Formats: sequence, structure tokens, C-alpha cells
Amino acid sequence: MATLKLEGLRKEYGRTVALEGTDLSLGDGEFFVLLGPSGAGKTTTLKCIAGLEEPTAGRVEIGGRDMTGVEPYHRNVAMAFENYALYPQKSVFDNMSFPLKSKRYAVSGEEARKRVERVAETLNIPHLLQRLPRELSGGQKQRVALGRVLVRPADILLLDEPLSHLDAKLQMEMRAELRSLGDMQGTTSFYVSHDYREALALGDRIGVLHKGKLHQVGTPEKIWHRPADTFVARALGQPEMNLIPGAAVSGAGGRVFRSRDGEIEVPLQGNPEVSEGTEVELGIRPLDLDLADGEPRPDTVEMSGSVYVVERLGRELEVTVTVGEHRIAAITNDAGARPGDRVRLRFPASKLHLFDGESCRRLEQEAGVMDRG
Amino acid sequence: MESTKAPTSNERPGGGLREVAINLLTILYFAFALFPVFWMIIVSLKPSNELFSTYFFFHPTFDSYRTVLGLAGDSGVPFVRFFMNSLVISIGAVLLSLIIGIPAAYAFARFHFRGSKDLLFTILSFRFAPELMVIIPLYVIYQKLGLFDTYIGMIWVMQLVTIPMIVWILRSYFQDLTPELEQSALLDGYTRIQAFMRVAAPLVRPGIAAVALLSFIFAWNNFVFPLILTSSNAQTVTVGSLTFLGGNRPNYNLTAAAALVAAVPPLILALSIQRYLVRGLSFGAVKG
Repeated sequence: MATLKLEGLRKEYGRTVALEGTDLSLGDGEFFVLLGPSGAGKTTTLKCIAGLEEPTAGRVEIGGRDMTGVEPYHRNVAMAFENYALYPQKSVFDNMSFPLKSKRYAVSGEEARKRVERVAETLNIPHLLQRLPRELSGGQKQRVALGRVLVRPADILLLDEPLSHLDAKLQMEMRAELRSLGDMQGTTSFYVSHDYREALALGDRIGVLHKGKLHQVGTPEKIWHRPADTFVARALGQPEMNLIPGAAVSGAGGRVFRSRDGEIEVPLQGNPEVSEGTEVELGIRPLDLDLADGEPRPDTVEMSGSVYVVERLGRELEVTVTVGEHRIAAITNDAGARPGDRVRLRFPASKLHLFDGESCRRLEQEAGVMDRG
Repeated sequence: MESTKAPTSNERPGGGLREVAINLLTILYFAFALFPVFWMIIVSLKPSNELFSTYFFFHPTFDSYRTVLGLAGDSGVPFVRFFMNSLVISIGAVLLSLIIGIPAAYAFARFHFRGSKDLLFTILSFRFAPELMVIIPLYVIYQKLGLFDTYIGMIWVMQLVTIPMIVWILRSYFQDLTPELEQSALLDGYTRIQAFMRVAAPLVRPGIAAVALLSFIFAWNNFVFPLILTSSNAQTVTVGSLTFLGGNRPNYNLTAAAALVAAVPPLILALSIQRYLVRGLSFGAVKG
């Protein structure tokens, strides 16, 4: 158990910058999820923490000690690799006891056997201990890889997309299990994922990484409700957040957002002070949109268009509506919509997100009026 | 790694005529390629007085083999000693090359240090540079250093033959291993050297077997180095077999018998590891 601190961590491969100066600090026992698309630099970050890659610049601190440039086996860090990296010639038992046999941990035969069996018990794999990795299914390999990580004391657990190769059902199961395992161990964990659902479900905090740049770090609630920029906004949620480019103009009753084609107008009262003419992007999550009927309600905003596509997602429907030039996605329970129908979309005024058109950063309210959603 | 079943050629549908043609060509090729061996066998079985007879029939005898192996008569040639020399030198050379070559191959596969590519190419160039190019200076150096006609000298010079093959073929084996395996070992509390010894090296064992036997065959077959760098003490079978031709009589039957006996160890090895050999060779050919 230990804290983890990254200071200005930067990694270049030749001319490509894999990781821009990254600052990050993890508390003792925290479960942190680094979220990002493939190629964002997630694995590079992990490998710099583990000491498998040498950062071009910056520092890695584990438990308050500077570990930059320290050999991996001195760092007391455990890592589960995306491709499991099980030793193919060793049985499951030998794979799991391999760390214990090293000089670093030097746990003797009987004690090692007990520990492996205890971890195998919690992971539900005691019947697999004598098998070879090639005789295991993906989910079983997964468990063994986790077992090898959990069997020894480690200051930091590094988990590189451990669930990405599993089918959806198994992913759900393991996700629930992982969290309880993490709690059990109370070890500071650094989890890498490209799946926002996984991140929201597992993380105490989430960091969103894109092209080597850390866009936002925060609790799942904060990342979901107050994305720092349009990239973070798009990275979470399926379908993605609707983003409509436009400008802030003066309209009836104050400042109004008007889309570029002039078809969408949304009042901005209570929202950040934006000077007239500023290019902005309006963001609305499909989940916050619904098909409207009856009279307009207070504190809601409406826009009208025609249904383009209806897709069933299970209990809900994803309805794509053409408003002016824009395709707006909404999640609804209303099964009545048919392509071509004229409909009105409604969303609570408090649920809109506003981003600067140029920097793509979130336009926040003045301090003191914050935290409404 | 799973063993894949290669489809055998006769499973291919509708290839009857093609099949026959291919088989015919193969037989033709083998007749062509194996004729010298066939000729040698015949010569080795002929008694001395029938060596130069022009008709096919002769009285087969194993006398030549007995003479060559020193079981009957005195040929004046210590063939068994040459044979043992070859064994000592070839095995010694391969062992030394493995000790140097396996870590070297690993280093070339995993690390890109300054000049690593040039160094790798230099090692390969030992293979395609003709031995005759360096043999005269080597001769002078060996005379001066007292390495001439010694086992150590021969084992040393054979590194030119064995190291390049071991380094190049094993390098591609190591490249095929995912680096995460060793990285995992590093995080499991092992040093880089331990990770190499306990994780990476055991996984390329089939490659090591293939390349060891292959380089053994090349070392065994080498002719130029023992020809120039040895006289009687450390001479090998390749050169030694020729000494039967010296003296008054051209003992072609003894030479043929000697050559055939000398071919036995590589033949046994080649047959016993045939499968590995193909894999090892194609590995080196496709990648690297």
C-alpha cells in the first residue's frame, strides 16, 4: 500500500510524443481508472510507473520515494498485462507462485502453496492449478493473471485492460468481482481501460487521457456531469453527447445559444456569462433528452425536428432526430416514434453543457454559483 | 503454442495428374542429387583390384571399411582419431557458440543500442565472406600464437561458422516472444538476467535444439579451416578422408568408405531433428 505521484511525466518515442507532461497523484488505497481510446498513451503510463519504460522527463514517486530510474523489481509494483503474459511452459500453480519464488519476495514452499491456494480460492480457480495456460479459456487466463498479481504484497497494482478480451457477460461478472477484490486488498490500484462503463463502475476517480494528454481527473460523478472539455464529454456515454456548434447571441430575455444554421435556440439564463458573439458548442447527453408531449414545462427547453432513425437498445429506444442540419440522438422509452414523424425533443435546462468553440474547454459559471448538477 | 496439422498433399482434391508429375520430378531430382552418394557406396564396396574395372559387376566386400576403421590391415591413416577430432571440435564449437550466441541473440532481439544493427550485420557477414579470404592471415596468426593444429584453435575458428547462424536464427525466435513475458518476470521480482534465464530462454528451447544441430553439421562439414590450420594433431575427418588418396596408390575405395563413415553423425542428427530443422530454417528465412 502506498501513494503514487507522477510529476511532469513525459515519454517520447523518437519524434512522437506518447505522453505529454502528466501530473497525477493517487491516495493510499485509491482505485484509479485511466480512461482513453487505444493509442492514447495508457499503457505507456503504466509501463513508466512500473519501470519497464524510462520516461523522457518527469518523476515517478511511490510511497513518497522517488522511483524514477529504479529497476522494476525494486519498485514492489504488480502488473496484470492486457495479453495476460502467462508463462506458457508453467502450470497455473507455477505461474502464480513464480513471484513468490523470486529473491525479492522469497516465500518458502509450504507458505507459497498456502498463499496461492488462498488466492485461487477467492478467484474460483482452485481446480485449474495443475493446468497449462494453453488449456484455459480467456476468462480463466484472466483470473490466473489477476491471481499472479494478487498473490504477493505490492505497493501498487497496475491493471492494463484486464477485462477487454472477455465477453460482455463475463466482463460484468469480473467487474463486480474486481471491485470487491480491490476492497479486500485495499491496495492502491491503477486501472487502464477504454470502456467508459468500466471506468464509471470501478473508479474512485477517473482520468481521461487522449493523445498523451490528461484532459480531466475527477470522481465518476464529476467526469460525467461536468466534463472539462468536448473530448471528455464525448469519451463517456453511448451514444455520444450531442454537440451543436453555434454562438452566444442576445435574444428574447437575455443571452441565447443559437446554432450555426439558426434552427436551434436555447436560452442560457443561469448559465455562464458568455459575451455576445462567442463561438460555443452546446452539449446535451442523449439520456437527458426525451420526446415531448403536451404543454411545454417550466425549466425545460424544447426543439423540434423529424425522426431520422429509430433503433431498439433493449428496453429503450435510440431515436435520431434531424433538427435543422443537426442529427440529435435521444434515448427514450416512447415506442411511438416512426421515421419521418415530426417530434419535439425536450431536456431540462439544467442539463446542458456549454463549451468554448475554440479551446473546446467547458465554460464554467463564476465561482459561488457552481454545483447545480 | 499449438501444433498445427499441415494438410498433406494427397488431401488436395482434383490434383491427380499434378501429383504424379510432382512425384516424378522429385524422383528425378533425387536420382540426380543422390547419384554421387550411390557411386560412393559402390566404390567403397569394391575390392582394390576391381576398382578400375569398367563393367558393373564386382565382388562386394567390407574390407575398405575394416581398413578405414583400423580393424584390419594398416592404412597408415589414423582415421578414428580424425573422427574423434571432428567430434571434439564440432561439439566444442557448438557449445561455445551457444554460450555466447544465445545471450547475444536475445540482446539483439530486445535492445537497440548504438551500432547494434551494424554489429548484427557484421556477424552475418562472417557467413557470406569466403573463408579463403581470411585464411592466410589466420594461418600466420595461428602460427604465432601457438594455436596452429590445436583443438582450442579449431574450436575458436569454427565460431566464424557457428555463431552467425545461432545469433540470426535465435534472434528471430526471441523476437517472436512477446516482451511482456519478461516484463512480467521483472515485476515479479526477477532481474533482467533471471528473466532471460528462467522465462525467455526455456521458451526458445526448440529453436536452440534446431540451431545447435544445424551449426554442428556446418562445423562438421567445414573443410578449409582444418585444411590450412591443422596438420596431424587436430585434423578432422573432412581433410583426413583425403589422405587415403596420398602415397603410391589412389585408394578411392578407402576414401569413399571414409567419407561415408564421416557422413554418419550429421545424417543421424539431420534425420532425428528433421522437423525442427525445417522450422528453424524457415524462421531464419522469413524474418530478421
